[in-house]
Amino acid sequence: MECVAVENLRKYYGQVRAVDGLSFEVDQGQIFGMLGPNGAGKTTTVECLIGLIERDSGTVRVVGEDPKTNPVAVKSKIGVQLQTAAMFPRLTVREIVRLYASFYPNPLKVDDAISLVGLEEKANTQTRNLSGGQLQRLSVALALVANGEVVFLDEPTTGMDPQARRALWDVIEGMKASGKTVFLTTHYMEEAERLCDSVVVIDQGKAIAIGSPAQLIREHFSEQAIEFSHSQLSSDESLSSLPGVTRMQAEEDTVILYSAEIPKTMGALLHYAQEANAEISGLTVRTATLEDVFLKITGRRIRE
Amino acid sequence: MSMFRQLVVATVKDMVRDRMTLFWFLAFPVIFIFIFGFIWSGIDGGPQSYDIGLVVKDSSPLGQGVKAAFESVPVFKLFTGSEEEELDALSRGHRVAVVVVPEMDMATLMAGTPTEVLIYYDASEQATARIMVSSISEILSEVERRMTGAAKLIETRPLTIQVEQFRSIDYLLPGILSMALMQLGLFGTFGFVELREKKIIRRLGATPLRRSMMLWAEVLIRLVMALVQCVVIVAVGTVFFHVRVVGNWLHILGTVILGAATFISLGYFLVSFARTNESAQGLIQVVQFPMMFMSGIFFPVELMPGFLRPIMSAIPLTYLGDALRHFMLRLPSEFGIERDLSILAVWLLVALFFAIKRFRWD
Repeated sequence: MECVAVENLRKYYGQVRAVDGLSFEVDQGQIFGMLGPNGAGKTTTVECLIGLIERDSGTVRVVGEDPKTNPVAVKSKIGVQLQTAAMFPRLTVREIVRLYASFYPNPLKVDDAISLVGLEEKANTQTRNLSGGQLQRLSVALALVANGEVVFLDEPTTGMDPQARRALWDVIEGMKASGKTVFLTTHYMEEAERLCDSVVVIDQGKAIAIGSPAQLIREHFSEQAIEFSHSQLSSDESLSSLPGVTRMQAEEDTVILYSAEIPKTMGALLHYAQEANAEISGLTVRTATLEDVFLKITGRRIRE
Repeated sequence: MSMFRQLVVATVKDMVRDRMTLFWFLAFPVIFIFIFGFIWSGIDGGPQSYDIGLVVKDSSPLGQGVKAAFESVPVFKLFTGSEEEELDALSRGHRVAVVVVPEMDMATLMAGTPTEVLIYYDASEQATARIMVSSISEILSEVERRMTGAAKLIETRPLTIQVEQFRSIDYLLPGILSMALMQLGLFGTFGFVELREKKIIRRLGATPLRRSMMLWAEVLIRLVMALVQCVVIVAVGTVFFHVRVVGNWLHILGTVILGAATFISLGYFLVSFARTNESAQGLIQVVQFPMMFMSGIFFPVELMPGFLRPIMSAIPLTYLGDALRHFMLRLPSEFGIERDLSILAVWLLVALFFAIKRFRWD
């Protein structure tokens, strides 16, 4: 059963087509990821779904309601974390979480929401004295305290240190375990691969791939990737004709060769480099990732 | 309604913890009362006395008689320096009047040639001067009557009726309250601009809370603060400066609410033109500062130069001050109380209309 259904969603700002005909569905109990570079339309999509802005056209259902015609019904059944989430500067963490708890019909306990994001020690600190990462965690706590059926998280781990990021991943997986649906946007590929049951990859307001991360990678790559940096070779198209190479991506001084026969390609590559007297650095062999999928479809990396 | 209550509690906490807010809303008007109070009233509030310079050049019993007559007046504090000293003291504002009694020659007097007694006074202190000149003349004619033994044909019999006496501080207190209400309304909207600029309103927009509720919470808090201000200002005036607030409290509070609502609406209208907190501050200052001094809340209208009168009579603060003066002190209002209240009401409706029309949530 899907608890978010989006069909042909459009939102233009003047000439800018922020979201341009987007369709996808989110099943209940899933962690669903929306993936894309900055400016791809992720935040605009989220804002249309949570009833913060009105779409231009298309149909949207969130927990059985239309956020355009019945925004309050949608808002009371979901939890939301926004990217630009500011707080009352002179209220403490606990006071703000308590305030937000009062907005929802069936909220979490205030202290539970605070401890889920690990802010117990800062519970009595005014928000103007919090660091960027702590504010980010508070804004996630505000999404959690709503105890909604779907939790929308817009780039929740941006600005967090690796430790806090991993802790939040645990929280998100915990939400899934307790039967909630999580909708998150991110431009961290490893985050999406690690957490998401299903992703939609978007670019310039359009969906360019939909499916589970593993499925998408399998669909686009039966090969593995050889990635390296060098100084002289990049313009040399003969790299792509090395044995086993099916595709080549070259940008500035980094080259990625996709190969179904790694040993053969590796041998040939090293031989070739020696012949050409070129230096190769940062040589890695890895399985393909969502980043590779994005690169293959758009020719660009997600993070510039 | 727990949502609304929590929102009010949160907004109040956020506001009260900002020391600048407290300063502007409570400390600033109170400081004003103390400054004006010390300048214009004298903190003791006891019986006033008048410093009079008395220069008697005549050493005859006649001169001594004049001197004794002045000494018998309890509210006169006499200084008997030389003529130069006393006139100098007068010109520096240390005397309200200087009386110079010349040498008197009995023979000339008996021949019916009057002697000139000179009374110097500061013409800019009109009210005091008028009282002084007439009471000094009265004393002198009493002296003269005794000398000539003329029968008193008209006897004055002083009777008292209850008249409230108003000093400058009494006059100013309603003005200070009006100023405080204006600042509450205008500066109070900064809070909203801050919420808007910091996208706090946007974030709250993603919750089931209705946005209008935020605005109602703010307005409610401002109105309560207006009443608090009113009570504090009246209390400080009463306790420290013995200002007698004699009006009907319902009328006073009603006017306070009307004034506060007018300036709150005006504030929201003004900040609809500003994007950032800084530009809002500039805009509000540009409006509130001239309004404060051109409104006649601190000076009587007569002191206002003629070319400023049209501005003064357009400013809502003028009418709020006048109405409060009327209701707090039972003074006859300058423009007519119906006119005061209806002009304020028109300002409220117009400002409210445009504030709603131009309102921006983000």
